[in-house]
Amino acid sequence: MRSTAIDRRTFLALAGGAALAPQGAWASEEALFLGARLNGGRFEAAVIDERGRDRLVLPLEARGHSFAVDAPRRRAVAFARSPGRFAIAFDVEGRDAPQAIAAAPGRHFYGHGVFTGDGRLMLATENDFEAGRGVIGVYDATDGFRRLAEFASQGVGPHEAVLLDDGRTLCVANGGILTHPDYGRAKLNLATMAPSLAYIDIASGAVVEQAALAPELHQLSIRHMAVDAAGDVWFGCQYEGAASERPPLVGRHRRGRPAELFAGPRDVLHAMQNYVGSVALDASGTVLATSSPRGGLIAFWDTQSGRHLGHRLLPDGCGIAPAARGRVLATSGRGAILSAGWNSQGVLAEPGKAGPAWDNHLRRL
Amino acid sequence: MPRWMLAVLALICALPAHAQQAQVAADIGRRVAELYAAPALSAFSGATRRLDEAMRTLCDAPAPPALEEARAAFAGSVRAWGPVSILRFGPLVEENRFEHIFFWPDVRGVTLRQVQGVLGKKDESAAMPEGLAEKSVALQGLPAMEFVLFGSGAESLAEGDGAFRCRYGAAIAANLAERAAVVERAWRPGAPFHAALTRPAADNALYRTPGEVAGEVVKALSTALQFVRDTELLPALGDSAQEAQGRRAPLWRSNLTFALAGAQVEGVAGLLRAADFAGSLDAARRPLVDSVLFDLDHASQALRAVEAPAEAAFAKEGERARIAYAAVALDGARHSIGEQLSAAIGLTMGFNALDGD
Repeated sequence: MRSTAIDRRTFLALAGGAALAPQGAWASEEALFLGARLNGGRFEAAVIDERGRDRLVLPLEARGHSFAVDAPRRRAVAFARSPGRFAIAFDVEGRDAPQAIAAAPGRHFYGHGVFTGDGRLMLATENDFEAGRGVIGVYDATDGFRRLAEFASQGVGPHEAVLLDDGRTLCVANGGILTHPDYGRAKLNLATMAPSLAYIDIASGAVVEQAALAPELHQLSIRHMAVDAAGDVWFGCQYEGAASERPPLVGRHRRGRPAELFAGPRDVLHAMQNYVGSVALDASGTVLATSSPRGGLIAFWDTQSGRHLGHRLLPDGCGIAPAARGRVLATSGRGAILSAGWNSQGVLAEPGKAGPAWDNHLRRL
Repeated sequence: MPRWMLAVLALICALPAHAQQAQVAADIGRRVAELYAAPALSAFSGATRRLDEAMRTLCDAPAPPALEEARAAFAGSVRAWGPVSILRFGPLVEENRFEHIFFWPDVRGVTLRQVQGVLGKKDESAAMPEGLAEKSVALQGLPAMEFVLFGSGAESLAEGDGAFRCRYGAAIAANLAERAAVVERAWRPGAPFHAALTRPAADNALYRTPGEVAGEVVKALSTALQFVRDTELLPALGDSAQEAQGRRAPLWRSNLTFALAGAQVEGVAGLLRAADFAGSLDAARRPLVDSVLFDLDHASQALRAVEAPAEAAFAKEGERARIAYAAVALDGARHSIGEQLSAAIGLTMGFNALDGD
C-alpha cells in the first residue's frame, strides 16, 4: 500500500507560516476556499481567503482533487485524484496535525466526498475495482476517520456526491465509466456505459430514487453536482462519444421527474468541447456556474428557467465556488483567480508561469 | 439599444477560436489524412477482407492448410490494425467502432466468458453478421476472432466438426471487414470528416484552426502511447517476474502481443512524421521531434526483439528488461509530446482538461 504518511513538522511549519488569521473574530466570519494545486513542482492542498491569499498550505504526496468540507467545525478532507488511495483530514486553521486516511484494501478514492451536517460521518466516493462497482465509504469523523462501512453507489464510477437538505439523502453522480487502477486511467466500458444519478438513504444504504438520461445519451457521463435554492440537483457532464456530436452538458434533476438538459447557445456549447469540469451555485443558490477548462470559459445559468445568462473567459479555468450573489470565485490551471459573475469580473490573481496550477475544484468552507 | 452597443456586446461575448496561434503546418490535416491515414486504412481494410475470405474458405472446406491461411490472415489484420488504432478520433470513435474492432483492455475477461458462451450454446444469432453486430462488443473484433482461431477447441476448425465455430468466426471477420471499409471511406476525400479535418475554419463544427487539428493529433499520439504502455504491457509485466501474468496481455494466444504493440508504436512514429511538426519548428527546437522519434524507434525495436512466446515472455528476465525498457521509452515519448512538443508548437495542454476528472 502506498505511504500516506505526512511529515508533521513540514505541515506545522507551513501552517505556522501560512495560517496567519489576523484576528480571531474576523477570521471566523470570513469566507475561506479550498483548492488542490501544483505549485513549484509540489502538489498541495491550499486554503485561501476571498481575496485569493494563501492562508494554509498542506503538502500532498500526489495530485489532489476535491474536498469534503465540515464548515461548522472548520475542517476538511482533501482527496487524492482518481485512482489515488490517500486522503488527508485537516483543520483549516492549522490547529491540529493533519490526519492521513488510507483507502481500504481493494478500493481507491474518486476524489470527492461530503461530511454529514452533524460532522459525525464523512462519506467518500470509491471504486471497488475488482468487482467493477462504485461504493460510498462511510468514515467515523469523530473517531480518527475509521472506516465504518460502505454501501453501493448504485452504479459504476461514482464521482461527485452531495448531501441533500434533509441531511440523510445522498445524491451520487455515477459517471458510468469503468476504470481499474492496474490500467491507469483507461476507460474500460465506453460502449456500454450507463451513467445515473442515485439518491441513497445514508442511514440504510437503500436507494430512494434513480434518474438516468435518455438511452441515446448513455455516453454522457454525469460527473459534478450542486444543489440550488429550490433543492433541485444541477449536474455537469462530460461526453465520451464522438466529438462531432455536441449534446447538452448541463442538467437539472427535480425529485420524481425526469432529468432535464439545457444546451445554452450553440457557440457556447461548442466552445465547451463536450466537457464541464465543475459546477457551483452562487451565494443565493439561484445562479449556477459551470466551468469548462477545455473551452476556457465559465457559463452562468438561471436555475429557475435553465436559461444561459452569459459567460466569462478563463483559460484552463475549472475551480469554482460560491462567492457573492450571482458570483463565483474561480481558479485556473494557469494560476489565475477571478471573482466572476455573468456580467462582470474582478481579477484577484493574474495568470502567470510562477503562479500555482489550480486543480479542478474549489470548495467554499 | 444602439446598434454599436450590440456590436460591442457581440465582441465581448465572442469566444476564442483558440486563444493563441499554434505553430503548425496549415495543411496538417491533409498531411495526416493522405500520408498516414489513407495508407494505414487501406492496408487494414485489405487485410480484413483477406481474413473474411480466408474464413469463408475455411468454413466451406475445413482443412489444416485452410486454418493456417486463416490464422495468417488474422496476424495480417492485427499488424494492420496497429497503425489504424492510433487514429482514435473521428470515424474510429463514432459508434464505438474502436471497441467493436478491438475490445481492450478486457480487465474482467468478458471476451473469454462471452465467446465461450456463444460457442457452448451454439448461438446462431451470433453466426450471422447482422445478428452479431447487435451483440456485445466483446463478441466482435480481433480478441474474439483470436479465441475462435487460437483458443481451446480451435483445432476443430480444421476438421469439419467445428462448423458453428467457423460460421461465428466468419461473421466476426465479415463485420471486421465491413467496419474497416466504413472507417476507410469516412477518411476519404469528399467525406464530411475528411473535409472537416483538412479545411479547418470558423464555421467548421469540428476543427476551427490548424492548431485544433494539431491538438487532436497530439492527443491521439499521447493516448496511443498511454494505451500501449498502461493497458497492453504493464498489467502483464507486474512488479516482478513472480507477479508477471502473460495472460493479461492482449493476443497472447496467437503470440501477436508484441507484433501489435510494435506496430502501434511504429504507427505513433509514422503519424508524428506525417504531421511534420518538425517542419514548423525553428532549428533550436527541431531536435525535440528527433528525440521523441529516437525513443519510439528504440521502444518498437525492443518490443520486436522479444522472442519468447507472449504468455511466457513477461516472466522471463531478459525479455522483461526489453519490455520494461520499451515502457520507459514510451512514457518518456509521451511526456515529451504532451509537454515540450506541445509547448513548442504553441498548444497549451490544460492542467484541468484531462479526461475523467
